Amino acid sequence: MKKVLIVDDSLSVARQLEKIINESGDLVSVGHAKNGAEAIKMNHSEDPDIICMDMNMPGMDGLTALRSLVVLDKAVKVVMVTSLGGVGDKFTEAIKLGAKNVISKPFEPENVLNILRSL
Amino acid sequence: MAVKFFGQFLVEQGAVTSEALLHAIELQERTNLKLGEMATAMGYITADDIERAHASQLSKDMKLGDLLVELGILTPSQLQEVLDRQKSTHLYIGEALVKVGALTPEKLESYLAAFKVDQAPYVAERIELPDWLRNQPLWETAVDMTYKMITRVLGIRFRPGKCQEVSRLSTNQMLAAMDLSGDATARYLLSVSAGLQKTIAKAILKEDNVDQEPPEVLEDTVMEFVNIVCGNVVAKASQSGLSLEINPPTTIHPALNGLPVPDSYRALLFPIHVSNDEVMELALFIKQ
Repeated sequence: MKKVLIVDDSLSVARQLEKIINESGDLVSVGHAKNGAEAIKMNHSEDPDIICMDMNMPGMDGLTALRSLVVLDKAVKVVMVTSLGGVGDKFTEAIKLGAKNVISKPFEPENVLNILRSL
Repeated sequence: MAVKFFGQFLVEQGAVTSEALLHAIELQERTNLKLGEMATAMGYITADDIERAHASQLSKDMKLGDLLVELGILTPSQLQEVLDRQKSTHLYIGEALVKVGALTPEKLESYLAAFKVDQAPYVAERIELPDWLRNQPLWETAVDMTYKMITRVLGIRFRPGKCQEVSRLSTNQMLAAMDLSGDATARYLLSVSAGLQKTIAKAILKEDNVDQEPPEVLEDTVMEFVNIVCGNVVAKASQSGLSLEINPPTTIHPALNGLPVPDSYRALLFPIHVSNDEVMELALFIKQ
């Protein structure tokens, strides 16, 4: 069972992702961080295999957190989940910084699972 | 006066009974096929093809027909044939009422003319923006994307109202706002009534019942909807070479006398007519 940490300031997005992950059968959600700084702390305490992270959050944003996470934890795989996925520059920046993929919103559950399972 | 559908207007005017209207609507539903249904009826595609196209439509700003062509399911000439067939067989409500014997063709003509006059202040045929507005294609995209996401993500049927400049937004259950900066500076606001807030929550959370959800979750779903719209607007704008940033969305509970437009901003209001009881409004506060 792969452990997934959800990072999003939106309660409703966290709820949607949690449901998709926990109903998958092979993935389990280990928590919900509301910004980048919380994500770094929870990555340390929960040791997830995968992090699903929003880009646009108050406090530390997703791309800033991504920069730190890839240095602090070489094993964790980060996927960005964002409404800005269609912005070429943002997508490229995330991939360049080490994100494994970018999921655009609105998303389909099947699409999320396919991407998480491919990691 | 309020926004009405033609059938509703006719019933109100006493031109037809609600039973006759219902008969006409049933006839319309049997006659008018959606693009996917028509293409299926013509033997060009299967239900699986439609499902595949709908799934990829969520992440692509394309009409179903264009997407079916892009996915290699329909050829461009087949699409044209389907569109032509849809157009030539489309039955409007007025025609349906004539067919079921509820109206004469002559009466239909005169009521149509009266309806146009009645609805002229409310119905926008297309997104019309004032001449003073800079970056018109961007704001047209913002409004158009809102309409598309209301249909696709929320599954709400609505009629867009006419754009108007306002100096204050009237009060409502809540407003979700998102600030845009970069090549344009503006605040995008969506105002929703209590019933629509729940409709949005059901669609975003994919739940049938949200009565037990705390207010912050209901508000969050509206903010998330605004986030989806604005993120996609920024993506679309980037394709035209405009660079925009968005800040996380916020919730505003306006005072009873509404929300004033800040100095050095001008505000455009786009009413979104859903039903008589539920109010949704899109507003753009654009920095001058």
